[in-house]
Amino acid sequence: MSDVSTPEGVEPEHDHEHHHDHEGPGYATPQAAIEESEREKLAYVMSLYVGTDVDAPDFVSVVDLDPDSDTYCEIVDRIELPNRGDELHHFGWNACSSSCHMEGLERRHLIVPGQRSSRIHVIDAADRRNPELETVIEPEEVFEHDLSAPHTVHCIPDGKILISMLGDADGELPGGFLELNDDFEIEGRWEPPGEIEMNYDYWYQPRQNVMVSSEWAAPKTYYPGFDLEDVEAGNYGQRLHFWDWEDGTVEQTIDLGEEGLIPLEVRFLHTPESTHGFVGAALSSNVFHFWRDDDAGEYRAEKVIDFESREHDDWDMPVPALPTDILISMDDRYLFGSNWLHGEVWMYDVSDPSNPRRADSLSVGGTFGEIQEVQGRELAAGPQMVQLSLDGERLYWTTSLFSSWDEQFYPEEGERGSVMLKADVDPRKGTMELDEDFLVDWGECPEGPARAHEIRWPDGDCTSDVWQ
Amino acid sequence: MTSHDVTLEWPDGRTRTIAVREDETVLEAAERVGIALPFGCRTGACGTCTGRLLEAEGTEPGDGAGNSGGVDIEAAFAHRRPPRAFKDRHREDGYVLLCIASPRTSCRIAVGSSVHTELMENPWK
Repeated sequence: MSDVSTPEGVEPEHDHEHHHDHEGPGYATPQAAIEESEREKLAYVMSLYVGTDVDAPDFVSVVDLDPDSDTYCEIVDRIELPNRGDELHHFGWNACSSSCHMEGLERRHLIVPGQRSSRIHVIDAADRRNPELETVIEPEEVFEHDLSAPHTVHCIPDGKILISMLGDADGELPGGFLELNDDFEIEGRWEPPGEIEMNYDYWYQPRQNVMVSSEWAAPKTYYPGFDLEDVEAGNYGQRLHFWDWEDGTVEQTIDLGEEGLIPLEVRFLHTPESTHGFVGAALSSNVFHFWRDDDAGEYRAEKVIDFESREHDDWDMPVPALPTDILISMDDRYLFGSNWLHGEVWMYDVSDPSNPRRADSLSVGGTFGEIQEVQGRELAAGPQMVQLSLDGERLYWTTSLFSSWDEQFYPEEGERGSVMLKADVDPRKGTMELDEDFLVDWGECPEGPARAHEIRWPDGDCTSDVWQ
Repeated sequence: MTSHDVTLEWPDGRTRTIAVREDETVLEAAERVGIALPFGCRTGACGTCTGRLLEAEGTEPGDGAGNSGGVDIEAAFAHRRPPRAFKDRHREDGYVLLCIASPRTSCRIAVGSSVHTELMENPWK
């Protein structure tokens, strides 16, 4: 089962001349990923029915992104999972470019956790168009380590897999990290329990021996939906934790304060030497830049983007932007993100990470979007999870955030299902244009409308690949 | 093992009455007879399986002080574990987590995904 021992019979990741010491999955450098990758022709997308009355399990969609294909913009395969109630959310590969020197290792298995169920699925994607479910780690095995609510999956070098876990076995704090071995068995907790209380997303920069993690809340707090009382009670996070990557211990915690409430997706630049990164503070509608101050010998964080709330006749209070997802282009030049409530995707030039410059934005969906339908299909929610092509020329997004939060802010999302949309990006000019010929509709799934969440490409993407 | 008749009522008017043993949860009993109810964590943390108690045998209106339906949730159900998904106001309003709740009397419950959506409103709207 190990991807180290069974390399045969798998399509090559790419057919370029191999780098002199490049024997494993992915690409030798971020620039190599840009130059050597082919255009993405398939996407894997988390698709879900949890929390609805549709009597079917969540599934992984395989979406055809090849404009020359007869099934372009269609869901061409669905990997149905064995149980209902998972809430598929984020997922990742068993191996990425961080293992590009690991001979025989392949980017072949998708690790697909259920956010609500704490069940972890392993999908064999050797056949990129027809992946198959291979292994299921049942929730009880996860609870044994006093962890629940799996979130971010990163491969870590040497074939192991690390998953951020947002709660303890009861859905309370503290969260932690679960490590799987290269046979997809639980190895145990990665860190000494109690290093952090809240957990959410994380990213690591092994060459700098650093990992950064962010904070959502205890599962029991965010699972039922968003309640302002919880904000007032301090039940939502506002801190970043900087870890010693080798020791698995927190070296430094930065409290972002009220302007950093609910720091969600956190990204280091792709350049493995860099100590710069960004985190989106969803509730405060800000983006923070963080970096290591070498003189002081510690990390610092500073608010660099501030999205203003907007008045709307139908709302009693100003509507916050709620930037729920961010990503950095593979060349580290642009920061992209989504304002889910306002209905906006945006790109900032972060050539100088301390001073992001707004390059362009698209107003689509959400509460204020100028475009409220594509191909006659009404948009029920704003842009949410974003994913960028490796060459930085195509930005895709889906519209569901989290089933119970969707129900509060965009109840029609559950009735109509999610969509996936795309913008063509000109990285040279720093512009975006909505591609109105592109629409993938989860409203037309056989069992009924489904939600769609995180997007990944078969051969690496801007939100999962790390370089050692 | 004692069982109680639990009537499940969906928003579209559909109803089903199932016998639920005191040692099983409403969700387990529903699964046993092939009825699909929404659920998520199965540990009482996520609220996906939320139902609302409409009527419980042997309880008179006003028995459960403060709850809207006048039925006492604590008298009608035993929870296997603390209902972590709920705030105090939810328990007082007669909500019940069907993944961890076993009946102690016959009752009627509103079920379906829309019950869960009643727990939290859009705070800005």
